[in-house]
Amino acid sequence: MRVARELVIEAAPEALWRLLWDVPRMAACVPGCAEAHELAPHQTYRAHMTQKVGPISLSVALIVEILAAEPPWHLALSASGRDPVVSADIAMRVTLDCAPDGTGTRLHIGAEGQVLGKLGALGHGVIQRKAEETVDEFGRRLARMARS
Amino acid sequence: MLRPFALYRPSTLAEASALLREHGEDATLYAGGTELLLLMKEGLVRPHVLVDVKHVAGLGEVVAADGAIRIGATVSHRTVERSAAVQAHCPLVAGVARHVANARVRAAGTVGGNLAFADPHSDLATLFLVFEARIDLRGLDGEREIPLDAFVLGPYETARRGDEILSAVRLRSWPVGAAGAYLKFGLYERPTLGVAAVLVPDAEGRRVSEARLAIGCIGPRPLRLRALERRLRGAPVEELAAGRADVASAEIDRIDAVTDLHGSADYKLEMAQVFTRRALRVAAARAAHHVIDARYPYTVVV
Amino acid sequence: MPATPTPSSSSIAFTVNGHRHALEVPTHALLLDVLRDRLDLKGAKRSCDMQVCGACTVLVGDAPVSACSYLAVEADGRELLTVEGLGTPDAMHPLQQAFVDHGAVQCGFCTSGMLLSAKALLDEQPRPTEADVLHHLRGNLCRCTGYRKIVDAILACAAQSGSAA
Repeated sequence: MRVARELVIEAAPEALWRLLWDVPRMAACVPGCAEAHELAPHQTYRAHMTQKVGPISLSVALIVEILAAEPPWHLALSASGRDPVVSADIAMRVTLDCAPDGTGTRLHIGAEGQVLGKLGALGHGVIQRKAEETVDEFGRRLARMARS
Repeated sequence: MLRPFALYRPSTLAEASALLREHGEDATLYAGGTELLLLMKEGLVRPHVLVDVKHVAGLGEVVAADGAIRIGATVSHRTVERSAAVQAHCPLVAGVARHVANARVRAAGTVGGNLAFADPHSDLATLFLVFEARIDLRGLDGEREIPLDAFVLGPYETARRGDEILSAVRLRSWPVGAAGAYLKFGLYERPTLGVAAVLVPDAEGRRVSEARLAIGCIGPRPLRLRALERRLRGAPVEELAAGRADVASAEIDRIDAVTDLHGSADYKLEMAQVFTRRALRVAAARAAHHVIDARYPYTVVV
Repeated sequence: MPATPTPSSSSIAFTVNGHRHALEVPTHALLLDVLRDRLDLKGAKRSCDMQVCGACTVLVGDAPVSACSYLAVEADGRELLTVEGLGTPDAMHPLQQAFVDHGAVQCGFCTSGMLLSAKALLDEQPRPTEADVLHHLRGNLCRCTGYRKIVDAILACAAQSGSAA
């Protein structure tokens, strides 16, 4: 699935970058994401994600790897993991691109990846929609946290 | 093989709700099991407790009163198809029930289960929108009644909360003289597109006094096309019946369709325009008492 | 008063092909497995395992059921019919004879489901139209015959019978 979103955050790029680069704090903005902690600083993290799609619950231990970092403009990371209970394999690539926008920052979020396995029985449309909702909510929470 | 579970067979709704409250996320409601058992076989849901509502008194009835039909949650599609009350008051519903899935699913599957599962491809969830359907929900904290439109929130997501149970759906009969059609298009087990159309002609029968249109399968949930419905007021029935009226809808173009195995998003929206025109054509022909031979590939016309 | 749960194992009794059976089955047992593995009735087949193909069709009362997706405990107190109860090689049911006469069987995998679905139809509609037959067989898939001879067999059987099939 593929999601692209753009929003303006009321914080200067450097201030936003401090939040993004604090990966556990940034991960906490992802709905359903908890317990993100560091395995190797600014390199590898572990996060646990839970999501519900109708009657089906997803619970995945994700390994998050930083792929590229160009402060304060660009951050790319991968997140992958497996929920053995519903036989779902998740592999995502997320990019966060920042540009100045007046006194704030224009943030472009790109998320691309796949959910393979039995969960696919729900249909690509449902998974795509869930991904879009997740990215939208992430953007909202990030904006709130950056403002405070 | 299914994983083991405990099966409860309450005889009242209150008992059933109490079980849901007691067991929380470990419990799930069970009636026909046509979706549930499949999900359980795949391991996608793993309830420890099934609350079988088939033995709850009063849930399995079809009752007609005051221009409305009340269909209990555990009424099967097969029963709806054969119900004299449904055939008398909303024959299109009986006709559509006849085409849900296959004969075995129709015998076991229930109207309540279908609506509560909220599969985006549900025929009934689309069709019932043109019958101003309302859903009865009952829980330990009380009862409430909400429009179907407010019950189905998205794919596999409804407004049912906690220990609430969908106990019935209520449909309003159409005004006298109204005629409708349901067109279901697709090659696969679940339909790619469903369109329900109802037209109420004016006193002379020449122009549309009221129109209702619902589209399902292609968006996150079924939708009424309210702007097109308003535009159709006053439209000449004969023009609609001849397929000559302009019924292109900007509302359709705004539906949040997603590319998947049923087709690209563009294709679905294009087909939605085509089948809306066709559904209106069939409904208008019926309103004008014309015989119409409406046959389209891979399409069931009810 | 809360309803007592069905324990993890239940005693059920039902009639299959006129014979009464009393069994202990796990609550989560599927009818198809009980028929095939406990009662040695192999006519119903597990194929799609999701109520689409009809190879597991049996009749519970007058209703066709996907045994692959039906809890065995739901059959308690009911009368079941499987293909083994339809007829024997020496005394075939008219539907079975019609299938043989019309060449409606190739690999045979869909056949028991086709026969029982057809029986359910003819019991209710002794004189179905071809459209009726096609409608009722929509949930029974065949990969071999192209359906033509199956439909012909059912229509021929309906035309011949003076009494209920």
